[in-house]
Amino acid sequence: MSKELNLWLDDLLQDIKIIKFKRKSSRRVRIDIAPEALPALLELLQGRASYVHLSAISCVDWIEEDEFELVYHVWSYETNSLVSAHTRVPRDPGVYLSVYDLYTPAAFFERDIHEMFGLYFEGSPDMEKFILTEWNGPPPMRKDFDSEAFVNQTFSWEEYHPQWLKDIEAEGGGITTRPEDVR
Amino acid sequence: MRPENYEAIKQPPSNEYELNFGPNHPGIEGNYAFRVKLNGDEVLSARADAGYLHRGFEKLMEGRLWIQNIALVPRICVPDPVPMEVCYSLAIEELCGLEIPERAQWLRVMQLEMSRLAAHLFAFGGHAATTGMYTPMFWGVADRDLILDRFEELTGGRVYSIYNIPGGVRRDMPDGFLDRLDSLLDYLDSRLPDYDSLFFRNQVFIKRARDVGAMTQEQALKWGVTGPNLRATGLAFDVRRDDPYLVYDKIDFDIVTQPGGDALSRNLVRRAELQQSIRILRQVIKHLPSVKGAVRCPIPNPLAWNVPAGETYTRVESSKGELAYYVVSNGGDKPYRVHVRGPSSMHAVQVLEKLAVGSRLEDIAQIMFSLDACPPEVDR
Repeated sequence: MSKELNLWLDDLLQDIKIIKFKRKSSRRVRIDIAPEALPALLELLQGRASYVHLSAISCVDWIEEDEFELVYHVWSYETNSLVSAHTRVPRDPGVYLSVYDLYTPAAFFERDIHEMFGLYFEGSPDMEKFILTEWNGPPPMRKDFDSEAFVNQTFSWEEYHPQWLKDIEAEGGGITTRPEDVR
Repeated sequence: MRPENYEAIKQPPSNEYELNFGPNHPGIEGNYAFRVKLNGDEVLSARADAGYLHRGFEKLMEGRLWIQNIALVPRICVPDPVPMEVCYSLAIEELCGLEIPERAQWLRVMQLEMSRLAAHLFAFGGHAATTGMYTPMFWGVADRDLILDRFEELTGGRVYSIYNIPGGVRRDMPDGFLDRLDSLLDYLDSRLPDYDSLFFRNQVFIKRARDVGAMTQEQALKWGVTGPNLRATGLAFDVRRDDPYLVYDKIDFDIVTQPGGDALSRNLVRRAELQQSIRILRQVIKHLPSVKGAVRCPIPNPLAWNVPAGETYTRVESSKGELAYYVVSNGGDKPYRVHVRGPSSMHAVQVLEKLAVGSRLEDIAQIMFSLDACPPEVDR
């Protein structure tokens, strides 16, 4: 039964001209779709094809194309298959629509993406900071944020060489490899 | 939230007050906080406050080689680290098109179930402690330690084993390992009736946990609840059966459900899953000696390993629910993007916030421990 439903869904999705459909395996489907049509697709999948579980929303920063890729993974408990709907939105101004009215779990993922990538979701119930409460810098998961450069700018390297270590070294012991030798 | 940055919201006089529950509180699992608004003892609204454990795993993984990340991923969830390693390895194997040997698959199933047993024992002990019963807590932790002994023997590490690598597992079992695992299972099997009479059939626990944090199956599906918490609302769904990975389709086990959807049902599901994990491990012990061959397929030099470009979404059933990794490669020697979908990112945030409203202050710990929420999965 479930296999027939899957085949039926394949036929249906292949008929829609604006999407690129690819079945990766018996339980994985990849769909590429324009951002303006994605909420309608999710509504179709949820309302008509039993894809009621939003497993995750993943965001990928394709900095060379100047785009964010959003991937909505939805799972059907009836046909046991996962549809990953891919869409791309421009990095600037970085605004997209929320799917909170369709999937409640979207609120968490959208808040997380807003915090980590700076992509704003219109209509999401809560876009406040969550994990990085006291962070004032740029969204850290963006590819143009360099963690190491940030650390070098913000903090100064300190040589850890306290008196007790000097005493040990005077007796011929201590750390054999100094940190500056490693770096 | 540092105290100097906290400003109390000015409000007209009322009976309501705000309370910071955590981050250092015995009723909170791990470093996690909860800002609750109360009227007397009744919770009016609750806000999760995460970030105390943020270590930036996803960003770190983008700067390290594929193989280096193996040492990083188990640290995302401390009580149940093996599914993290397996899920990440499965993703790389799918991207590279690697077929891992059958023996390695059985060895992975064995560790996954050992890890599930350990995590469930920990969770049961934790819930017992919030009910005021400390003996089951000591029992749960002590019996978990015996499983960690077997992990130490098999992998060298007690908690973070770092034993699964892309392509299989690091090395084969030591001689006589299965015998010792078998006698451990005999011991755990004999302990289950003791757990029952001390905790699961104890009226102190039953009266305390019944109807606390109850949700219906519709609510659970709407809120993205997975794993034992979903099965406690009566839906027989398990990634191991319905989206099988490794050799789970060759293994015989039952999917346990409970109708209630409350803290009691969630604990009873975990109690029954202890039995199921022991059953799976016994099948592994019976089957594993007949599976011969390598434990690892040939992989390229791990220090110069360019994984082919592509993306994949792999899911496993961890002890807490659906765990998934979205891994993107652009053909380089490091991951382009890794997104970790921990089950607790739903349970500890939205579900807990919703279930807490209308309950009493002392129920929050009960709800949180019965959901088996793991804050490091939220923070990552």
